[in-house]
Amino acid sequence: MTTMHELNLTVNGEEWQLAVKGAETLLEVLRKHLTLTGAKSNCLEGECGVCAVLVNGRVVNSCILIAAQCNGAQITTVEGLASGETMHALQTAFLNRGAVQCGYCIPGMIMTAAGYLKENPAPTEEEIREGLCGTLCRCTGYTKIVEAVQEAAQTMGAK
Amino acid sequence: MSAPKEFEVVGKRLNRLDGEGKVTGAAVYASDFTLPGMLHGKILRSPHAHARIVRIDTSAARKMPGVRAVVTGASQKLNRFGNFIKDFEVFANERVYHVGQPVAGIAADSEYAAEQALRAIEVEYAELPAVFDVMEALDKAAPLVHPDWQSLKAAPIIVREGNRCSRTVIKVGDVEEGFRNSYRVYEHVFRTSPVHAGYTEPRVAVAQWTASDQATVWCNTQLLFDTQSTLAEIFGIPPSHIRVIVPGIGGGFGGKLRLGMEHYAMALARAAKRPVRVMSSSEEELTAALFRQPATIELKTGVDRDGRILAKEGRIVVDAGACSGSGPLVASTGTMILAGPYRLPNANLEGISVYTNNHPNGSIRAPSGPMPNFATESQMDMIAEDLGLDPLELRLRNILREGDIAVNGQKMTAVGLEECLDKAATAIGWDLRKPGPNRGKGLACGWWMTSRGSSGSYLKLMQDGTLTMMVGVVEMGTGALTGAAQVVAEEMGMKLTDINVVSADSLTTPYDFGSQGSRTMFAVANASREAARDLLEKMRTRAAKALGTDEQALVMRDKAFWSDEKKITFAEIAAQANTAGGGLIAEATYIAPAVEHDASRVQNHFSPAWPSPSFHVHATDLSVDEVLGEVTINRYVVAQDVGYAINPTYLEGQLEGGAVQGVGQALSEEIIIANGHVKNGNLTDYKMPTAMDVPKIEVILVTHPSVAGPYGAKGVGEPPTIQPPAAVANAVAAACGKRIMHLPITAEKILLG
Repeated sequence: MTTMHELNLTVNGEEWQLAVKGAETLLEVLRKHLTLTGAKSNCLEGECGVCAVLVNGRVVNSCILIAAQCNGAQITTVEGLASGETMHALQTAFLNRGAVQCGYCIPGMIMTAAGYLKENPAPTEEEIREGLCGTLCRCTGYTKIVEAVQEAAQTMGAK
Repeated sequence: MSAPKEFEVVGKRLNRLDGEGKVTGAAVYASDFTLPGMLHGKILRSPHAHARIVRIDTSAARKMPGVRAVVTGASQKLNRFGNFIKDFEVFANERVYHVGQPVAGIAADSEYAAEQALRAIEVEYAELPAVFDVMEALDKAAPLVHPDWQSLKAAPIIVREGNRCSRTVIKVGDVEEGFRNSYRVYEHVFRTSPVHAGYTEPRVAVAQWTASDQATVWCNTQLLFDTQSTLAEIFGIPPSHIRVIVPGIGGGFGGKLRLGMEHYAMALARAAKRPVRVMSSSEEELTAALFRQPATIELKTGVDRDGRILAKEGRIVVDAGACSGSGPLVASTGTMILAGPYRLPNANLEGISVYTNNHPNGSIRAPSGPMPNFATESQMDMIAEDLGLDPLELRLRNILREGDIAVNGQKMTAVGLEECLDKAATAIGWDLRKPGPNRGKGLACGWWMTSRGSSGSYLKLMQDGTLTMMVGVVEMGTGALTGAAQVVAEEMGMKLTDINVVSADSLTTPYDFGSQGSRTMFAVANASREAARDLLEKMRTRAAKALGTDEQALVMRDKAFWSDEKKITFAEIAAQANTAGGGLIAEATYIAPAVEHDASRVQNHFSPAWPSPSFHVHATDLSVDEVLGEVTINRYVVAQDVGYAINPTYLEGQLEGGAVQGVGQALSEEIIIANGHVKNGNLTDYKMPTAMDVPKIEVILVTHPSVAGPYGAKGVGEPPTIQPPAAVANAVAAACGKRIMHLPITAEKILLG
């Protein structure tokens, strides 16, 4: 029999009490148990970053984090980034800068940027590129993504 | 020339219609899609490059927990398939002919249960001789990849002989005479490696049989109708009995043109009598997807004292892998890239595709572009260096200009190549080609076509006065459908956000050739524009009747028709039509006009004439680390003749993304295969460019309008991946003197080469 672990999580402000299998990852819990499909599934080995979410405010590839290790954690996914009806500055900037094409990496990219801007609120272009380098995007070539993060950093800094 | 006309919607940097869902996480992709009672499928793949299947025993697997169905080649009658030659099998029957070939499938309650059960399938193989090198495969003594090749059904254009699965030729003038008259003749051989399309969403399909001969498949294909007809062929049922829906797609780049997981999901769902989802793992993507074909390119070019090309002989040999796939098309179109956008008085260009026991390959973005372009544009620089000429000057002496006759006999129009060369060279600072030690600049030019193929569009006036546009393509992310909607909005005097787009359902949307060939927005916008004009006429007739006036007296403004002070809004017209007039709909179809060429110059050519050709120049400034051999790209410029920019933002996005994809093929990306086995089947060892590996891509839009294109636009999606390998190779040579003739240009090759 598979051992089940009790898992208490706060996801996008909502509290959850779940029973998960020992090997289940945070990504599986988000996508299958909570049906939050914003965090995407691809390499499942922590290389591509499309599954990135914030765990206690820090960027994590949820595909390689064992869910049971997250007991008591605060999780933010792309679905929880907006404040009510108002999109987060990163979401607005990605949209307005044309930084979105197929969009599959975008939840991971935006969450990576959100986590990075907490650590470094006024980054240079080079620092943004370094901060985002854990998330692959095949569509955009990163030019407009970097511009969007620069714009969002300015908007957020001005508040 | 008069100043370009200002439009209200077209030409504007408007946000894409599907953007909000993509930044909030609300967008549903095929990999997010589930059905009640859905099972999970996994595929057992061949560990051998060529072997006879002696025995398959699935009895133990069937007894494993959670297993609901097991399928092998023997358990279901499934027909062979393939775009040009029917050489693919869904599950192997008597033989496997490449590593990774599907042998069996299992559907179970979970992916984990299916994976465990795969290990319980016993397969006994008897290994057979295999061939992995294209040149060896062409030898008469080589083992035949398909000993039954003569009995495999093939398209009439295909000319086959043993392992050679196609041959195309372009011939002009007399090359031998040209070489005799040449001041110098240069002969080189170039090679390229297989690369993956690099989409971030793996291929996935959910299949459900709704009757014994009817099924629905939710998947992330780029081609609804090709997928539908191929599945119909495999399962022996009418195409209309298969409904293909793409809920959303995470990138394609050509890697999702042909069947991915759809046929496996359908076979397993039929056996299990339950919906089945099959998703490719990351390892399967990098070991068993359809890669860009590796190629060997032989080039012989003769020039006069001034560097003018007098004769060119070339051959591109494409490794199709164990099934021909797109190989014949890639080799065929490759001959046009061997020619390049140059005046060639004498040419003999050949493209062949060859079976090996390597993994079958597909059509990645500009399928035949980067390999022969890398060869021809590298050789142009080598010629320039030998003659003591500036590489830019050598190109200016040879390029096609307005009214020139290209190698295929086609008269060139709307040729923006010289402007691209001038602008790219100026932007990169060409006057200073070696700005410092181990630093250099390089450029490469090229051409490409806007592929043909039909598009249809249905338009429906909604009761709130907005409009619904139904089209049979998949929005891959390029913004093609936002662009087409901008064209419709412009015609209708509406805002972009007044256009509701419905797409990618084979049952409800009109036929479309699909999201491929740099033609999606081009063709869909042309069809939709025609439909919009028709709809507007119908609305005008109703408006005139309602206002009791002449149609000619009506003025269209603010989504209403006006006659002096009286008006009727689009919403009122729709309401009237819906309640008393049968509603208002319009439809139109489009195919790009055929382009004239000289048929006597081409043999068995898949694309002998290039509709609305585009022209492009890439230039880069890079540094090579003297000790480590690592390349750092300091600047990268793309100048592309796009005809007209319907939405400059997303157009730039195509060029920026395509250039970086091409830089990946130039410097780091390679599926490493030894004896048919992939050695780097993970994203740690298959190195796609990250944000740190590339600089800002600087884009220059050159606009020589195409007569056929919507507002003059040309196809734009594929070209930017063509030139990066050559531009980078030329810049590396300028920086450190090393001429790398085998992609990718790794540090090892720079240091040891």
